[in-house]
Amino acid sequence: MAASFLIFKGGKMASPRVATVMKQGKWTPWFYVLPALIIMTVFIVYPMINTVGLSFLNKDSSASAATTCVEGEACWGALENYRYALTNEINTSTPLTAWNTFWTSSYGNTIKWMVFMVAGTVIIGLVFAVLADKVKYEPLAKSIIFMPMAISFVGAGVIWKFMYNYGTSQVQIGVINAVITALGGKAIPFLSQPILNTFMLIIVGVWMWTGFCMTILSSAIKSIPEEVIEASRIDGATEWQVFMQIMVPIIAPTIVVVITTMVINTLKLFDIVYVMTGGNFGTDVIATRMYREMYSSYNTGRGTAIAVILIILIIPFIYMNIKRFIQQEAIR
Amino acid sequence: MFKKSKFWAILSVVLVASMLLAACATPAPTAAPQPQPQPAPSDISCEGVTAGDQISMLYQWSGQEEERLNAILKPFVDACGVAIVPEASRDQALLDTKVQAGTPPDVVFWGSTQLKQYAEKLVAMDALGVDAANYADYWKAMGTIDGKLLGLPVKADIKSIVWYSPKAFTEAGYTVPTTWEELDALVEKMVADGKVPWSMGMESGDATGWTGTDFIEDIILVKQGPEYVDAVIAGTTPYNDPGVQEAYEIYGKWAKDEKYTIGGAAGTVSTNFNDAINKVFSTPPEAMMVKQSGFAAGQITTTYPTLVYGEDFDFFQVPGVKGLQGGADWGMAFSDKPAVKALFAYLASNKGGEEWAKVGFDLTPNKAGTTTYEDASLAKKAEMLAATTGFVADIGDAIPGFGVTEFRGVTDWVNGGDLAQILSTIAAAQAEGTK
Repeated sequence: MAASFLIFKGGKMASPRVATVMKQGKWTPWFYVLPALIIMTVFIVYPMINTVGLSFLNKDSSASAATTCVEGEACWGALENYRYALTNEINTSTPLTAWNTFWTSSYGNTIKWMVFMVAGTVIIGLVFAVLADKVKYEPLAKSIIFMPMAISFVGAGVIWKFMYNYGTSQVQIGVINAVITALGGKAIPFLSQPILNTFMLIIVGVWMWTGFCMTILSSAIKSIPEEVIEASRIDGATEWQVFMQIMVPIIAPTIVVVITTMVINTLKLFDIVYVMTGGNFGTDVIATRMYREMYSSYNTGRGTAIAVILIILIIPFIYMNIKRFIQQEAIR
Repeated sequence: MFKKSKFWAILSVVLVASMLLAACATPAPTAAPQPQPQPAPSDISCEGVTAGDQISMLYQWSGQEEERLNAILKPFVDACGVAIVPEASRDQALLDTKVQAGTPPDVVFWGSTQLKQYAEKLVAMDALGVDAANYADYWKAMGTIDGKLLGLPVKADIKSIVWYSPKAFTEAGYTVPTTWEELDALVEKMVADGKVPWSMGMESGDATGWTGTDFIEDIILVKQGPEYVDAVIAGTTPYNDPGVQEAYEIYGKWAKDEKYTIGGAAGTVSTNFNDAINKVFSTPPEAMMVKQSGFAAGQITTTYPTLVYGEDFDFFQVPGVKGLQGGADWGMAFSDKPAVKALFAYLASNKGGEEWAKVGFDLTPNKAGTTTYEDASLAKKAEMLAATTGFVADIGDAIPGFGVTEFRGVTDWVNGGDLAQILSTIAAAQAEGTK
C-alpha cells in the first residue's frame, strides 16, 4: 500500500500541458488499482484486522482474553494472550534460567536463524558469486549451487532428516553418523541434542537458500562496469582490495535487499523445523509455535497473538525492502 | 465507465462459476436408491424408513477402513434400502464448519470430545429409541453428558498391551508376566542376561512423545487405577500429583537408560515409534518387548510378512493394570429422521455387533460381537475388553488441546529436563483444558 501511494505522488508530477484526452482525473488512478485493492482487502487487510481482533479473545473466540487469567498470577487483561506469547517460554526464577531458557525459546531460536542463516547464505552466496565469475564453467557451478532451491522445504527437511538420522543399532542409516562411526567415533543425536540441533537445522536452511543469494549477487557483480575494476587494477589494487573497496560498495544496495529478503524468510521459517524436529528438543521458532498453539492446542487467541507479534517483527524489514525498491525505481 | 461494467461482468461470472464448483462438490450417493424395499430380515428393523431415504455421514475413515465400514453397514443398507451419502475427512474444521453453518451431517463418527463439544446439538440416544443394553456401564458413563447418552461407541482399540516374540521368550526361558512385580523382575532378568528389555522409541514428528504418555498412563493404571485417571482427566487431580510423578519416574528409569531401552535417552527420543515396533521382531531382535496399541500387529506384518501371529509375535495385557486404556470412535446423530433411528438401532443390535466383529474393524464395544471375531488377535483383545471393569481414555486425547503439552513434557523429561518443572507446566495446561 505504501508503495502505491508513493508511486502516485510521482505520477502527479507529470507536465501540466497535455491534451485534454490525456488528462486524468484525480480519481482515475484509483480505478486502475481497484481490482488489486479489492483483492488485497479481501485476502490481506481483512484477515489481518480479524487476526488482531482474535488475539484479544480466548481460545474459541467466545470471550475476552482477560477471562483466561488465572487468579494469583500475572495478568495483562485483554492482552493476556500477548503475556502468554511473550513470557510463557521463559523461566524467570533466576536471571540465569531466564537467559538459558530464552536461548532455547522460539524467540531465541528465531534470532539464531536470523543471524546465522542470513550470514551463511549471504557470505557463501557472495563468495560463490565472485569466484564463479572468474571461471569458464560458471553456469555449471552456479547451477549446482542453485539446485537445492528447486527442492521443496518439506522435501529438503526429509532428506536431511535421513542424513542426520541417529541409529540405535550397529547399522547407521544416517550418512553423517555412518561416517562418524566408521571412523571410530560415537554416533551423535544431531536433532535431539539441544543447542546443537538448531544449528544443524540452520545448515539445511543455508544449503537451500545460498543459491538464491548467489544468483542475485552474481547478476549485481556482472553489472559493475568493467572500466571501474580495470582502473582500480591499473592503479595497483590487489584482488582483495578490488573486492572489498570496489565491488562490495557498488553492489551494496543489492546486498541490503538480499539481506532483508533473507531476514523475512528466516522470520517466517516453518517447514524445516516442523518436518525435522516438530519443534521438539528446544528447536521451536515463532512460526512453529504459532502453528502448534493454533492447530494442535486449538487456542485461536494465543495462536493469533503470536501471529501478530510475528507480523510486527517482520514489518520493519518489509518497509526497508519497499523503500529500497522505490529508490531503485526512482533511479530508473 | 465501460471498464467498470466489464469488471462487474467478470466478477459475476467468477462468482457464478465458484458457486457451480461448490455445487458440484456435493458427493453423489454411493448406493442407488432401490425402487422397492426388500422385506426386512427379522433382526434389522426398518420402521418408518422409506426406500431411497438418504443418510448423510461424516467420518475420518478412508481406503480400507471405509471399505470395512461399508461391509458392516451393507446388511442394513440392503434391508432398508437407504442410501448413505458419505464424506471422509480427518479435518475437524470441516465438521465444526458444517455444524456452525447449521448444516451438520445426519450422522457423524468422530472422537469422544465431540460429545461434549456438541452436547446441545446432538440427538440423544433415548430420543432415537436406542436400546443400549449391549454396552458396558463404563461406555455409557463415558458417553453420557448431563444425564443423556449422546452417542454410541462403535470402534474401539486398546492401548494397554505389550508386544513380544513368543519364540524369543521360549528360547530365553522367559514367561509372560501376570503382575507388575513379575514384569519388573523379568525386566531386571533380561538386563542381567545381557538383553535389552524395551524398545521405547517415541519419535512422531510434532506429536513426538505420545507413546511415552501412553506408557505412563498404563503405569498409572497399574499403580493407581482407573478412577485416578478419570480424576486427572476431570482436572480434580492435578497432573503434578505424586501418583503421576511416580509413573514418570518409573518410565524414566527405563526410557533413559541404554541397559533398559534401545539407545538410551537419545534412542528413545529419536527412534520413530514404528521403527521401535520393528526392532523387537528384527533378526536378531534388538529388544524383547514394545508397549504399543493394537495397530502394532499391522506394522509387524507389513514389515515382516512371514511372521505368524501367535508364534512369532503376540501380545499380553500390561500386567497388573486395573482397567484398560484405549480410545473409541463414537457414532453421533444430528438428525432424528427414521433412517437415522434405524441405523442406530442396527448398530446397537446383536446383529450390528456381530457384523462389526466379523468384518474386524478393530473392536466393537457392542457385547454381542465379543465371540464373533474371525481374526485371532482381535478376538484376544476383545476378550480383554470384555473382561475389564474399567476403561479410560487417553488423557492427552480426553482434555481438549492438552495432548501437545503432555507429549512435549514427556519428551523433555526423557531428554534430560527437570521433572518438577515439566509436570507443573503440564498441570497448568491441564488446569486450562479442564476449566
